[in-house]
Amino acid sequence: MLQATKLTKNYGDIEALKGLDMTVEGGDIYCLLGANGAGKTTTISLFLNFIRPDGGTATVCGLDVAEQPLETKKLLAYIPEQVMLYGNLTALENLRYFSQLGGHDYSQDEYRDFLRRVGLEEEAVDRRVKTYSKGMRQKVGVAIALAKQARALLLDEPTAGLDPKASNEFSELLLNLKSHGAAILMATHDLFRAKETGTRIGIMKEGRLVDELSTGEVTHADVEKIYLQHMHAGGHYAQDGAGSA
Amino acid sequence: MIASIARKEFSEIVRDGRFKWTAGIMALLLLTALAAGYQKYSAYMDIQRMSQDQTNAQWLNQGDKNPHAGAHYGNYAFKPAGPLAFFDNGINNYAGTALFMEAHKQNFAIGRPATDQSSIGRFGDLSGAMILQLLMPLLIIFLGFTAFSGERESGTLRQVLSMGVSNRQLLWGKALGIGGVVLLIVGLCVLAGGLALSLTGPSTESESLGARATLMALSYVLYGGIFLFLTLAVSAWAKNARTALMVLIGFWAFAGFLAPKAAVEISKAIHPTPAFGKWMADMRSHQMRGFDGVPPFVRFEQESREIFAEYGAESIAELPVYVGALRLQKFEEYDFPVFEQHYGQLRDSYTNQRRLQDRIGIVAPTLPLRSLSMALAGTDLIRHVNFADAAEAYRRDMVLKVNNYLGEAAASLNTGYGGGNVLIADEAIFAMVPPFRFDSRGLQATLAEHAGNFIALMLWLAAALGLALWSVQRLKVEED
Repeated sequence: MLQATKLTKNYGDIEALKGLDMTVEGGDIYCLLGANGAGKTTTISLFLNFIRPDGGTATVCGLDVAEQPLETKKLLAYIPEQVMLYGNLTALENLRYFSQLGGHDYSQDEYRDFLRRVGLEEEAVDRRVKTYSKGMRQKVGVAIALAKQARALLLDEPTAGLDPKASNEFSELLLNLKSHGAAILMATHDLFRAKETGTRIGIMKEGRLVDELSTGEVTHADVEKIYLQHMHAGGHYAQDGAGSA
Repeated sequence: MIASIARKEFSEIVRDGRFKWTAGIMALLLLTALAAGYQKYSAYMDIQRMSQDQTNAQWLNQGDKNPHAGAHYGNYAFKPAGPLAFFDNGINNYAGTALFMEAHKQNFAIGRPATDQSSIGRFGDLSGAMILQLLMPLLIIFLGFTAFSGERESGTLRQVLSMGVSNRQLLWGKALGIGGVVLLIVGLCVLAGGLALSLTGPSTESESLGARATLMALSYVLYGGIFLFLTLAVSAWAKNARTALMVLIGFWAFAGFLAPKAAVEISKAIHPTPAFGKWMADMRSHQMRGFDGVPPFVRFEQESREIFAEYGAESIAELPVYVGALRLQKFEEYDFPVFEQHYGQLRDSYTNQRRLQDRIGIVAPTLPLRSLSMALAGTDLIRHVNFADAAEAYRRDMVLKVNNYLGEAAASLNTGYGGGNVLIADEAIFAMVPPFRFDSRGLQATLAEHAGNFIALMLWLAAALGLALWSVQRLKVEED
């Protein structure tokens, strides 16, 4: 459902992404691991057409993102590291606004239901979100994604800075979405949760995908070991490993 | 979709703490200006009506006297104002509102409030028009400069653009939302002012008031739209909100202060106004010299044969009318082309200045709007020229009527040029001159003269819109 083919992106002289090939199918939670600057966020931005590729294509459900940006965005939901909302609007108003931007409209009760499902306290729903904690804002972000009924989700370190409970609740939601057949691509630093929640793990380094794992076939210890091996390895090893999975 | 964006924009602005202050100050200033305009207009209309009635009564009760002396006694014309003058006082402070009409002389309008004001008066009148021309753009800029730049800074733009909404829809929605807020503040105040005037103000008949008010509202909406789309364009283009604000305030100062001042200076330099003393001296000596270089006394002697022939007479003795009155009227008529030439020269310089200013108006939307606004309010130069023309026509008719009366009444005293001076007429005869009434030229003429200003506003709106569309099309959440 999400597919990158020889996807390349340069910022001036810096090659941020060097011919990325990857596929995320419906029902997959694909966790992208890698150091900062490895190209995770660049990949997500390319799927969102926030930036244009210098080579290759990104497709969503077979549609080329660069050619049909609005159509592909309708199929996607995006949750950034920091969900940014309109402080002077309530959670419900934020949810309604973003839903309407995505072309959906629901009744008041349905909106409340979305916010309940992501675990937002009842009393917070009609409060202006400038008083919200980061966890609460992320929940609204998830509700926005739920309400969009997207076929594919792009998550950019969505649990960074969340307390363990909120993080756990978030994982529950992802599993729920996955069971409904959504394709989920998540950039993360959380190896533990990647193994726990993800179905597949991709390790990125310097703009390349250097390894892919199926979480069912490895243990936590394996994930950490393999990840650190890639991080410590020289450029040659990384290049040899590219596309080996 | 666009409606949802507009609604969100609207509620967000209205809930912002800054809004209460800006809206409050704007409403306060506008209402104060409208109240001041209302007060000024009512007082002016009272004075105008009272003075016109008084001068008419004085004319009718001037006592028994020689009819031509009655023409010297003269009469005043007071310029009436349309109801929209309460909103835009135009050039009334400078052009004068009362004109003395007498035999042998065409006069200037006097009664210019500006001459009684200290230099602070040069900043202009506190009027509804001034508030809307200068402060409404500022309000739009304050409400709109963060429309895109602020969302980019706070990070909401990333999420908004991830939803699959087109940039154009965002633009229209934001324009509608911000425009709605501005319209609400300004519209309510103006409506309140207009309502107060129509309910309790002096009743005035005014030609095509509805059409004038509608066109005026339309002009201000166009003007607001120009600033709205420019604000959105800059907000989408600028890297951050601070840059957007700085660029917009710079343009505002240029359009509202620099360009109008420059336009006035340039137009004065290219079409200089004659120096008053010299102009007046030139006109008086031209009268003495005679229009074609033949002094009036000489010209009357030269043409007397033909003049007498019109009456079937060959000498003064055969004339059926008093020759002194005939000569007075001829002298009067000999001056017509002199007045037309000299006043025409003055008027042309003002008119050319205004036209040039209108043309310069293409560089800043405030200029064409200002010109249009006072034209529609009936407080502009064209209206003033119409008034002066009407007063001159009235003056000529007044003098003609009394001279003709003298000619017939003193026909028996036809011994020489001064024989009829002894004639004393009953004051009742002065009723043959009807009271002065000023019917301004219609709206059509105003529109024809100001079509260019409408076009300039439209062009500005189209340019602002084009700029906004271009700017949102290249709207980026990240550097590429």
